[in-house]
Amino acid sequence: MVLKRSKLVTSLVGLLVLLTIFVTGCSNTTKDQENASAKDQTKVLTFSWAGDIGDLNPHTYFPNQWFSQAMVYEPLVYYGEGGELKPWLAESWDVSKDGKEYVFHLREDVTFSDGSPFNAAIVKKNFDTVLANAPQHEWMELINQIKSTEVVDESTFKLTLHKPYYPTLQELTYIRPLRFIGEAAFPDSQNTFKEGLKSPIGTGPWILSKYKKNEEAVFIRNEKYWGTKPEIDKVVVKVIPDGESRVLAFEKKEIDLIFGNGVISQDSFQFLKDSGIYETKLSEPTATRALLFNTNRETMKDLKLRAALQHAFNKQAVIDNIFYGTEKKADTLFAPNIPYTKINVKPYEYDAEKAKQLLDEAGWKRVKGKPFREKDGEILQLELLFISTDNIQKAIAEFIQGDFRKMGIDIKLISQEEETFWATAYEGGFDLLFTASWGVPFDPHAYLSAMTKTSENGSPDYKAQLGLPVKKEIDRKIKETLLSTDEAKRKMLYKDILTALHEQAVYLPISYQSNAAVYHKNISGVHFLPQEYEVPFTSIDINK
Amino acid sequence: MGWFIVKRLTSLIPILFGISLITFILLHLTPGDPAVAYLRASHIPPADETVAALRVELGLDKPLYVQYVEWLGKVVQLDLGMSYVSKKSVWDEIMLHFFPTVQLTLASCILIVVVSLPIGIMSAIYKGKLIDQFSRIIAFVSVSMPAFWFGFLLIYFLSVKLDLFPVLGRGTFAHLVLPSLTLSFAYIGTYMRLLRASVLENLNEPFVMYARARGLRERLIVSRHLLKKSLLPLVTGLGMSLGNMLSGAVIVETVFAWPGMGQLFVTSILTRDYPMIQGCLLFMGVIFVVCNLLVDLAYSFLDPRIRWEGEK
Amino acid sequence: MLKNVKRQLLSHKLMMISSMIVFFMTLLALLAPFFAPNDPNLVDITHKLQGPSSKFPLGTDHLGRDILSRLIYGTRTSLGTAFLVMGLTMMISIPLGIYAGFRGGWGDYLFMRICDILMAFPSFLLSLALIGILGPGLVNLILAMVLVQWVFYARVIRGMVLSVKEQNFVLAAKVCGTSRLVIVIKHILPAIISQVAVLVFMDIGGVVLAISGLSFLGLGIQPPGAEWGMMINDSKQFFRNAPSLMLYPGMMILIVVVAFNLFGEALRDALDLRRE
Repeated sequence: MVLKRSKLVTSLVGLLVLLTIFVTGCSNTTKDQENASAKDQTKVLTFSWAGDIGDLNPHTYFPNQWFSQAMVYEPLVYYGEGGELKPWLAESWDVSKDGKEYVFHLREDVTFSDGSPFNAAIVKKNFDTVLANAPQHEWMELINQIKSTEVVDESTFKLTLHKPYYPTLQELTYIRPLRFIGEAAFPDSQNTFKEGLKSPIGTGPWILSKYKKNEEAVFIRNEKYWGTKPEIDKVVVKVIPDGESRVLAFEKKEIDLIFGNGVISQDSFQFLKDSGIYETKLSEPTATRALLFNTNRETMKDLKLRAALQHAFNKQAVIDNIFYGTEKKADTLFAPNIPYTKINVKPYEYDAEKAKQLLDEAGWKRVKGKPFREKDGEILQLELLFISTDNIQKAIAEFIQGDFRKMGIDIKLISQEEETFWATAYEGGFDLLFTASWGVPFDPHAYLSAMTKTSENGSPDYKAQLGLPVKKEIDRKIKETLLSTDEAKRKMLYKDILTALHEQAVYLPISYQSNAAVYHKNISGVHFLPQEYEVPFTSIDINK
Repeated sequence: MGWFIVKRLTSLIPILFGISLITFILLHLTPGDPAVAYLRASHIPPADETVAALRVELGLDKPLYVQYVEWLGKVVQLDLGMSYVSKKSVWDEIMLHFFPTVQLTLASCILIVVVSLPIGIMSAIYKGKLIDQFSRIIAFVSVSMPAFWFGFLLIYFLSVKLDLFPVLGRGTFAHLVLPSLTLSFAYIGTYMRLLRASVLENLNEPFVMYARARGLRERLIVSRHLLKKSLLPLVTGLGMSLGNMLSGAVIVETVFAWPGMGQLFVTSILTRDYPMIQGCLLFMGVIFVVCNLLVDLAYSFLDPRIRWEGEK
Repeated sequence: MLKNVKRQLLSHKLMMISSMIVFFMTLLALLAPFFAPNDPNLVDITHKLQGPSSKFPLGTDHLGRDILSRLIYGTRTSLGTAFLVMGLTMMISIPLGIYAGFRGGWGDYLFMRICDILMAFPSFLLSLALIGILGPGLVNLILAMVLVQWVFYARVIRGMVLSVKEQNFVLAAKVCGTSRLVIVIKHILPAIISQVAVLVFMDIGGVVLAISGLSFLGLGIQPPGAEWGMMINDSKQFFRNAPSLMLYPGMMILIVVVAFNLFGEALRDALDLRRE
């Protein structure tokens, strides 16, 4: 017995020692010291993002993130300040008179990060693998318009279209799917959409060097980069799903930069700004934040009800109390500074009385002793779908729920994780949905174009508009616009389309959203790039 | 002893079988067609012919028992299927997330021992004194404390206000402190009282009396005799708690953004990633059973009476 | 016996306080609309995140709702759900436990095997998985908890029945040829019911904790309903500007759970049911 007991004690102590070694051993203390000493020489910027960066494949979508795809892969044409189309991987281009042939002269000093050459052959190969999965990219009209791709010589690439599609160059600036991976990145089947990449090899200023799913990704500077090389050596992207955690981590200097839209709550932004210890910046409007009404649902088919909802929504209260004035009130689907979108329509102003009157007219009557309006014994209940991790959507959603309740409208909140959210949205499983215009370079042509595509590869808007009596006409007009070479006609058609959408009250524009940047004072070179999803890592510098 | 181990191991078989059955059935309780769910999660329109084709591909057209046998065959080879969301092997994902959870759990175990051992013994020796009262209150609070709230309190006061620890995530040793403190807190109270009770019981045992009679110093009595005897419940108890701590880890990992099994489980629930939910549940169920088995074996090793009973 | 209970309860100050808290909380839950100064769901965003005032004694949350009223209604949600879960669990566990314990045989054997399997899972995880399959929401949460919990209680009740079964008064009834149903209702049920009550009160705190934990994860009650776990999750965003937002609901959970735990223990001591 005595023997046994002492055995117990020794084994326990031994176990404890082992555990301690184990726990401390597997923590990264050593690595951290390394970091600290290395920090003197190398400049590391720590950034955070809500989700994993995905498999870093430029030819696919979610879970890939725009910003990380843009770090590694580059376009032929770059969307510059004010919509100016700038040469990028293509030095110059010629367009045939009928608008159907585009010849690109490629830069000759570009190589992929693995040293393999960037030439017309690899451009064609990338185009072809994307085209092989054309149905998946249906939202992008250019893909549907491409008739053939051709290698003219080592550094000349020719694109032939079915019809003269006017936004061709603009669509080539997109972050996905028409950007380029190196030969060695292709999978055995050559089909990048179905099989993914062997490794993420691009031409861009950053190379992925370390990746831990759902934890962090480390990008290092591409020393062979053909353009202006980044100032900093390393970008660490930490996955922090929650906005508040992000702010805490920022305050503790665990991250250097907060960038993007909706990545932290407006309250936190205001709090950080008021503290005066940090630099904060807001971009020009990037896109329109709006609610999409699903006219395909029985209740929402009624124009009167949709108009009532428009009048019932107190935009100003949201602007003042949720955005603290950082976002401007929006009355139309696109901001007036976007080409072709200036239309003369009467905005739906907040008017509770009018809303109530319209609800009554639509047959939704107050019933004594019950909190919500009813029609034929059915309660006026509408489902509002939002992304659970998006603080701003959540705040507005709860506000709507509370405010509409006063008017007898029962808003059922459905909060879903981003992945599920999109699946539900595409299926049309909502009455009201948070949506946003796509911003430049997509607005207005690509956003409208996607409305005409069957939902799975277009946008949730298609199914949501199916209940409109004028849906067919709108679709026809959008298609016509995109292929029209006549500027005046284009203008007129755009006006018709946007006016019809406004009159049908399908969208409830809330505000013009903008990117927010918060960073520590030792960081410089943070400015906003034309495309909303690009993060200016290349120009950022860290000062000691 | 050997006989006992064999017996315990055989008793494990029906339980493991049951666990697999439950996890299998659970997935088939899913409202709607798993094939449709799969397509939805993959952003593929669930047209009738695609659904039908997928049903054949996933083997959903076969009778349920055939599906179960086939599934079990795969599980035995550690093939838990593919995640709907990430399209990666469920087993690989679990392996990736298991280690951080083990780390967190073991760190918590150490904390439990380090904190509850001295306080438990002291409150037995100074029964009714201040320290005893204090440990009593701590014990009550600790089992009643919502872990997620306690975690935030720790973050707020120790991380944000006093800037002592990093807020979130995994990385350095310091990252481990707050999550493991949160996870272990509920158990610290329990074990303090458990130790106290066990020491109190032993204080009146003849061997302590004898030691006292021999004029041994009190400190020696405690360290040489009492400590040894009172550790038994702690060791076995900890083993039992190990499985339960996996549950606690779910909330703690969510609060501290700790990339472990708990987070994987919660994310898969929120994204309705059914194969992942199934895989996680099965895996944690097996871990739980194995933990309990080890405790049983250890206990019988330390206390032969159980073994004899088992052999009878 | 009742006298004994009363004396024991009053004998200890802590116990008295705990029973008072339990009583008060139950009252609060039952009469929430009467106690709450404001409508807990009334949104007025212009009053958001305000400090305490005469209209809002504990201030307002991020949507301008009255925190005090939401806390009071939260009592109703938490306690109501917890008691519902326990009640439903008992409706399954008591008959099954008695059946298994009293009848024995293959039914009992089957029952015990089911117990072995279900109890092979950590219960919180199994509940989580069930909610994952059924989808989030209060109804599914209750369902998931009951479906997981009943096994444990049924097994304990079976044990109680086994020990009562062999006692003289039951044996005597059997000899007299009383029907089984009558024996169960007249003899067994009264003999175990107080132990069951203690069990329920000892564990109700744990159930409250589990419910708030699940709601914290976003799997329980959905907005705009008021629930403490969800309130903590909601206030995460504001916990630097308005830490009290997070403090209050947590304190409510802690107080309720401590009170119920103490109360349960007191009840057990009073009925002198300490086994072993």
